[in-house]
Amino acid sequence: MLEWINEFISRNLVTLIKILGFPGLIFILVFIIFAVWYQRKYLARLMLRMGPVHAGKVLGWLQLIADALKLLAKEIIVPRESMGKIFLLSAITLPVVPAAAIALIPFAKNYMILSVKGFTLPLFLAIMTLYPILIVLMGWSANNKFTIIGAFRSIYLDIAGEIPMILSAIGVMLWAGSYDLQEIIEAQKSIWFIVPQFLGFIVFLISYLAMIEKVPFDIPEAESELVFGYKTEYTGAVFLDTMLGDYVNLLAWALLMNTLYFGGYLGPSITGDPIIDGSIWTLVKLIIIITLTFTIIISYARLRIDQAVRLGWNYLIPLGVLNIVLTVFIKYILLGG
Amino acid sequence: MKDMLPYRYHPFNEIVELEGGLFQVNMGPQHPISGQGRFIVITDGEIVYKIEMDIGYSHRGIEKILENRSFIQGIIPLERMVMLDTSNIVMGYVMAVEKLYGVEPPPRAQYIRTIIMEFNRIISHLYALGLFAESAGWNPAIFLWTTADREPVLDILEMITGARWSYSFFIPGGVRADLPNGVKERILTTLDYLENRVRVYEDAWIYNETFRMRTEGVGVLPRSKAIEWGAAGPNLRVSGVPYDTRKNEPYAAYGELDFKIVTHTAGDSYRRGWARVEEIKVSIDIIRQAIENMPEGRIRVALPPKPVEEEVLTRVESARGEINFYVYTEGRDRPYRVKISPASFRNFYVIEMLPTIQTIRFADVPPIIYSFDPWFLDADR
Repeated sequence: MLEWINEFISRNLVTLIKILGFPGLIFILVFIIFAVWYQRKYLARLMLRMGPVHAGKVLGWLQLIADALKLLAKEIIVPRESMGKIFLLSAITLPVVPAAAIALIPFAKNYMILSVKGFTLPLFLAIMTLYPILIVLMGWSANNKFTIIGAFRSIYLDIAGEIPMILSAIGVMLWAGSYDLQEIIEAQKSIWFIVPQFLGFIVFLISYLAMIEKVPFDIPEAESELVFGYKTEYTGAVFLDTMLGDYVNLLAWALLMNTLYFGGYLGPSITGDPIIDGSIWTLVKLIIIITLTFTIIISYARLRIDQAVRLGWNYLIPLGVLNIVLTVFIKYILLGG
Repeated sequence: MKDMLPYRYHPFNEIVELEGGLFQVNMGPQHPISGQGRFIVITDGEIVYKIEMDIGYSHRGIEKILENRSFIQGIIPLERMVMLDTSNIVMGYVMAVEKLYGVEPPPRAQYIRTIIMEFNRIISHLYALGLFAESAGWNPAIFLWTTADREPVLDILEMITGARWSYSFFIPGGVRADLPNGVKERILTTLDYLENRVRVYEDAWIYNETFRMRTEGVGVLPRSKAIEWGAAGPNLRVSGVPYDTRKNEPYAAYGELDFKIVTHTAGDSYRRGWARVEEIKVSIDIIRQAIENMPEGRIRVALPPKPVEEEVLTRVESARGEINFYVYTEGRDRPYRVKISPASFRNFYVIEMLPTIQTIRFADVPPIIYSFDPWFLDADR
């Protein structure tokens, strides 16, 4: 019996490390703890506050764990009028969708959880389209006015944000000449795609903010109008799970932005080991991207849903198409492929 | 036309399905943005048909309490009406008492009052700006900035009056104490600091593109309606009515100081926020002039034993607009009846009437309401 386990572990050691360790489960959880702490501290400094200081002696690093334990200890309330099973299941499934998409992202050369070749970028986008469906289920099943309005707003916003996102991804695919995330990164060896695909990057950045549903596009949540949007009725551990979903979603999209425009794991060698080097550069770039995200979060007011949708359809989609046309023109006609 | 829409008013049900697919959304009293009251919003999806301000959650019967107190004791409960803006509120009552007794406070007291009232206006407007920014979906950055910038002003008020919020400093016949040593320099440096900070607010907030998108052309209050519905304060002035009690019916030292009234013709939410930033600048200017022209002399006069008048009406410009005091006394040292007409109450009526003249979206309700600088405690009394 034990021998069988030993053999299984020794044969699948790398896969197990990938799934459970880095860049799998433990990495995602640790990164989320870091991201929430970092968001709290960084935003607090911009707001002339200290942020958490008490739990954990140094910089309040235990605060998130204390908050999580508090939420776990709370009662899970299922509203009487809600569709109980869908209400709970949709929230519990929420973090799984972006986590599944993260499995496709290469963290170093040939180092990803799901070692598939080929259509990984379309697959990534396809998996991420499941996320809004779960949000709609959450808002609908809770049977509350605030949640339903929040879910409807989420549909509008996701349609307005996802299409420009896909258009800008098509620009990258055309420029790199590949559907594969790793080959897209390898194609950036000479120059990161943020330079030749700058127009596409602008479209991507704005639709990225819409997809992670943070200010200025936190319209489905909209604390000052909808209390907490589609998450209003969740309590305790299930609420913690929805928060987890939020941050895994942020992580997945930030990793995609890094992969498409900032050269993914590329960077000068530090230790000599390609896997460690790639991972370090991925994380460094990831932190820069979330710092940029949090700076945007603090600097703007929330748009209205009609303004956000108009921004998506009137400006981002034409710009995305223009980007594709320019990419084809420059890459395949001026530079001759 | 909107009066004929098929909705029925349900006062207390939490989940109500109205005819025609309309929603009744109760914002408050336990809503993140509502404050100490409730607004009932009746919507069709995102379009708002009716806003109803449900006040009275914090009614403390201040008018009745004043009847059971002597004039000077009445100042303390009266301050609880608007804790941000205590001196402007108290000024109306103190003026009424002075008129009843037929005394005129010495000019130095009037100048000290003017300085304190303008500082109160500044901290009240700063708070209003923070809440307005938060209602438009800002992370509470602006709110915390303005809260932090109120601190130096509160320090000065503590230096002059001995208290940071509830001063009880104005009394019938003058003020309680003279300015302490060294306060003038402190005031001038604080005013310089505030001027710089106001510039920061303009850069980060007033000229911010998303904020303009959210509030420009939203909740427009035209001039005729502003007069008809009785809007008060900056909300009236940005609709193109240059009415300011400080100018039109000067009290304290305002008659001797030279300042401008902030007006605009747009009358939308954006300009209502802008007007508060501009009024902070005007207040800074007024305080500078008052410090410069401060006369010497006594700071209070004694009241005669009996009131000489029976009834009196006074009006002052509080941060939220004009506030009226009607005081009737039977020749005793306490009022027989006090009637207060606060500015927030009239502004709430304007908010209720706004959906009748224009299309308002649900997401615009909090910015519109907070652009009027509502204060439920003020309206409840």
